Amino acid sequence: MKKLLFGVVDAIKAKSIQFIITTSFTLVTVLVVLFVGVMLYSKFSETAEQNAFLNTQQILEQVKYNLDSYLNGTTQIFELVDDKIRRSQSITSEKLNEQLEAIVETRKDIVSIAVFSRKGELLMGTPSKPMRKNSKLTEQSWFQSAIDDPNNLSFSLPHIQNLFKGEYTWVVSMSRGITIKGDRGDIPAVLLVDVNFKEIDELCQRVGLGKRGYAYIIDLVGNIVYHPQQQLIYVGLKNENRSLPLKYSYGSYVDEAEGDKRLITIKTVDQLGWKIIGVSYMDEIATTKSEISRFIIWLLIFVIVMVLFVLSYISAKISKPIKMLERSMERVEQGDFTVNEPIRGSQEVEQLSLRFHLMMAKVRELMSQIIQEQEAKRKSELEVLQAQIHPHFLYNTLNSVVRMVGIGKNEDVITTITSLSKLFRISLSRGKNMITVQEELEHVRHYLIIQKMRYKQKFEYEIEAEDAVLACKTVKLLLQPIVENAIYHGIEHMADPGEIHISASLSEGKVLLQVRDNGLGMLPVVREQVLTGSYKSEGGSGVGIHNVHERIRLTFGDEYGLEIESELEVGTVVKVWIPCLQGYGQEG
Amino acid sequence: MGSMKRYALFIVVLLVAVGVLYACESRLDAPRPDKKKTIALIVRMKHGDYWRTVKLGAEMAAREYDLNLNFYAPDYEEDSQSQMELVQQATLDGYDALVVAPSEDRVLEEAMKLSGERVPILTLDTEGQAEKVKSYIGTDNYDMGKKAAEKMIQLIGKKGQIALLGTSRSTANVMSREVGVRDVLQQDRQVELVPVDYVQLDKKLVGELTRELIHHNPGVQGMIALDANTAIGAAEEIEKMGMQSEVKIVAIDSPPEVLEYLQEGVISATIIQKPFSMGYLGIKYALDASEGKQVPGRVDTGTKVIDRENMFWSENQKLLFPFVK
Repeated sequence: MKKLLFGVVDAIKAKSIQFIITTSFTLVTVLVVLFVGVMLYSKFSETAEQNAFLNTQQILEQVKYNLDSYLNGTTQIFELVDDKIRRSQSITSEKLNEQLEAIVETRKDIVSIAVFSRKGELLMGTPSKPMRKNSKLTEQSWFQSAIDDPNNLSFSLPHIQNLFKGEYTWVVSMSRGITIKGDRGDIPAVLLVDVNFKEIDELCQRVGLGKRGYAYIIDLVGNIVYHPQQQLIYVGLKNENRSLPLKYSYGSYVDEAEGDKRLITIKTVDQLGWKIIGVSYMDEIATTKSEISRFIIWLLIFVIVMVLFVLSYISAKISKPIKMLERSMERVEQGDFTVNEPIRGSQEVEQLSLRFHLMMAKVRELMSQIIQEQEAKRKSELEVLQAQIHPHFLYNTLNSVVRMVGIGKNEDVITTITSLSKLFRISLSRGKNMITVQEELEHVRHYLIIQKMRYKQKFEYEIEAEDAVLACKTVKLLLQPIVENAIYHGIEHMADPGEIHISASLSEGKVLLQVRDNGLGMLPVVREQVLTGSYKSEGGSGVGIHNVHERIRLTFGDEYGLEIESELEVGTVVKVWIPCLQGYGQEG
Repeated sequence: MGSMKRYALFIVVLLVAVGVLYACESRLDAPRPDKKKTIALIVRMKHGDYWRTVKLGAEMAAREYDLNLNFYAPDYEEDSQSQMELVQQATLDGYDALVVAPSEDRVLEEAMKLSGERVPILTLDTEGQAEKVKSYIGTDNYDMGKKAAEKMIQLIGKKGQIALLGTSRSTANVMSREVGVRDVLQQDRQVELVPVDYVQLDKKLVGELTRELIHHNPGVQGMIALDANTAIGAAEEIEKMGMQSEVKIVAIDSPPEVLEYLQEGVISATIIQKPFSMGYLGIKYALDASEGKQVPGRVDTGTKVIDRENMFWSENQKLLFPFVK
C-alpha cells in the first residue's frame, strides 16, 4: 500500500518525463475532444431544433393543404346546389328534390340542404325531416350573415345543428343569399348547406406534433374552430392564448406563458382566413439535445481514459529504462564498480546505457592500473628500506672485527668474516627477491653467528627445520629483522643467558617459521603497535617487524603474515606464516 | 515492472469507476424514457354518453401527461359484481394508481384489499365510504340538488306544488341531491312538496307514477327528477298528456333524449355535470398521487344549469354534445 502510494506520488512528480508526457498529451486531447464535442453538440442541437421546426412546418402545411382542398370541395358542392336550385323551375319540383337527394346520398358529409325565407320559414329541405321547435334559426350566425351579405358564401363556426329532428350533429354551415322563383315573382331567400364537422375534426385529431404537441384552429376573430382541449378551455381548466396567434398569418415563435416552453407555428387557410396553429413542446426537442450532450460527455470520458491509459503506458516505457540507469549510477555512487547490466529501452537510452557501461569499464581499468602502480611503488620503497639494513649492520660488524683483530682472536675474525660474506651473498642472491626457506635459514644462521661473536656468547641459539619446507620459496630477509629485535629488545638487557629458537615446519598447508626467545617479553599494547607499525623503538635497524609483515602480505595476500605471542619475563614467540610454494621460479 | 503493474491497476480502477458511473447514470435516467406510469380507470358502464365523456377526458389527460391508461367498464350500470371482477382484472394488469367510480362500497373495499399499501386510490363520480381514498373527483351532488330546487322555484314563480321524482334510490349521489332539494324547499314556505312513492327505474312505471301523481294532485306545477331516466319517463308522459305548459320539469344530466325534450320545451331545465372534467382531473390527480404529490381530498368538477335559452350557446354546446359524430 505504502509502495503504491509512493508510486503514485512518484508518477505525479511535476517534473518527471512521465508526468510531462501524460499531462501535456491529455490536456491536448481533452481540448481537442472538448472542442469537437462542443462543435458537434451545437451542430447536432441546431439540426435537431431545425428539424423539429421544419417538421412542424411541414405537418401544418399538410393540414392546411388538406383543409383547403376539403373546403374547396364543399364550396363546389354548394355552388352545384346553388346552380341546381337556380335552374329549377320551382323550388318544390320533384326533379330538384331528386337531384339534391342524390348529392346528399353521394356526399356522406353533407348533413342537410335547406332553403329558408328571409323570415326563417323552411321553403325546401333535403333530406326532408320535420323541423324542431325553438331552434331560433333566424338568430343563428349563418342566417344572419346570409342576410347581411347575401352575395358572399359564409362558413359558420362548427356548431350543433338543431333545425331538424333526428340526431344532434356538429356541422359547419355554409350559407348565402339566393333568389328563388315564386308564384309572385322572385323571392330573396337563404340557402343553407350543413357539412358534418367530423371530417375536419378527424383531420385535426390526426395531427401529432411530438408526443404532446397538437394543432388547433381559430377563425378570424379568435373563436375556436377546433381545439383538442376545447372542453377544458371552456370549463377553465386550460388556457390557450389566442390573441397573439391572431396577429400573425404565418410564422412561428416560442411561447413560455403556460409554464412550458412551446413552439407555436401559424398557418392561415386561404379561403376562410382560419388559422391553423401548431403547438409543439420544446422540452421534447431538449430531450434530443440532452441525449446528444450526454453522449458527448461519455465519449469525452472514454477518450480521456483511453488516452491516459495509452500515454501512461508509453511514458512508463520511456522513463523506466532511464530510472533503471539512474539506479545503476546510484550503485556506482555507493562504490560498486561492478555494474554491468545492459538496459533495454528506446534507442537513445540504450546508447546512453552502452556509453555508461563503456565508461565504467574504463574506470575499472584505470583503477586496477592505479592499484598496481601503488603496490609497485610501495614494494620499491620497502626494498629501499631493506637495503638500509646493510650499512648499519656492516658498520657494527666491522667494528667488532677490528676489536677482535686488536685482541688477536684470529679464529673469531675468520668465522665472523666468513659468515658476513655468506650473509651478503644470500642477501644479494643475484638480485632475486625470492629465495628458498633453506637459504633464509642459512642467512639467519650466519647473522646469529656474527651477533653471537659481537655479544660475547651472551645467548645460545638453535635452528631446526622439517625437510619438506626447505625447498619452499619465501621472500628473503624475513627472519633477520625478527631475530634482530629478539636480541636488541629481548635478550640484550637480560641478566640470564638468552636462548633463541628458530624452527621451520608445515602447518595446515602453510609454512610456519617461528622465532622464540626467552627474553623480557612485551606488553600487549606494544605487541599490537609492533604489527601496525605505529611503535617506534629507539635504536634498531629501523626496518622493523611491521615491514616484514607488510612485505609478506603484499607478496602473498592478507591471509599470511606475522603473529606475535608474548608474555612479560617469559619471552616472545613470533610466528611467520607464508604459503608453501614449491616451484616458485618467477622473480618478484 | 512494478511501475507497469501500478499503471495497469490505476487504469483498471479508472475504467471500473467510469463503468460504475455510467451504470448509475443510466439507472437514474432509466425511468424517464421507458417507465410510463399506468393508471387504471374503472367506470360503471361501457355505454352511455356520460361514461364515454369521462373516458374522453381521461384519454385527453393520458395523452397530455404521457401515461398508460387502462380503461375498464362493465356492460351494465349498477352491476357491482362484474365491476368487482374488473377491479381484480385491473390489479392483475397492474397500475400505479386506481381511479374508480364504485357502484357500491364493496367494490371500493375490494380495490382497497387488492391494491398495495402505497398505491393511491381515487374515486370518481361517486364518493364512496372508505378512509383510505386519496381524493374524490366529481360533482357536489348536494349542491346539484340545491340548484335544481332553486331553478324550479324560479320556474314556477316562487310558489305552488312540486313533486320530487326518483327519490329513495339506493345510490349515494341521488340521495345527496334529494337532501339538497329538501334543504332549499324547507326555507321556502310557499313551495309545497307533494309526497311521492318510490318506483323502479323503468320508464313505463315512471310514466304511470307521473300520470297518477297529476291525477291526484291537479295543482302540481313542477317536477324535479333526480336522475336522467326518471326525467325522460316523466317528460314522455307529460308530453303525451299535452301538459308541458302546466307542469315544468327540471332534470339531471344531458343524455340526447333530455336535450330533445329540452329543445321541444317539455323539460324546462337540466342540471348538468361535467364528466369530461371528471375524467381529465381524475387521471391528472391520480398521476400526482402516484408520484407522491399532495392532492386535494375533494375536487368539485362543477355543475351548470341549462335551459332552452342557453343550451345552444357555443360554450355549452361542447358540454352538451361532447362527441363529433
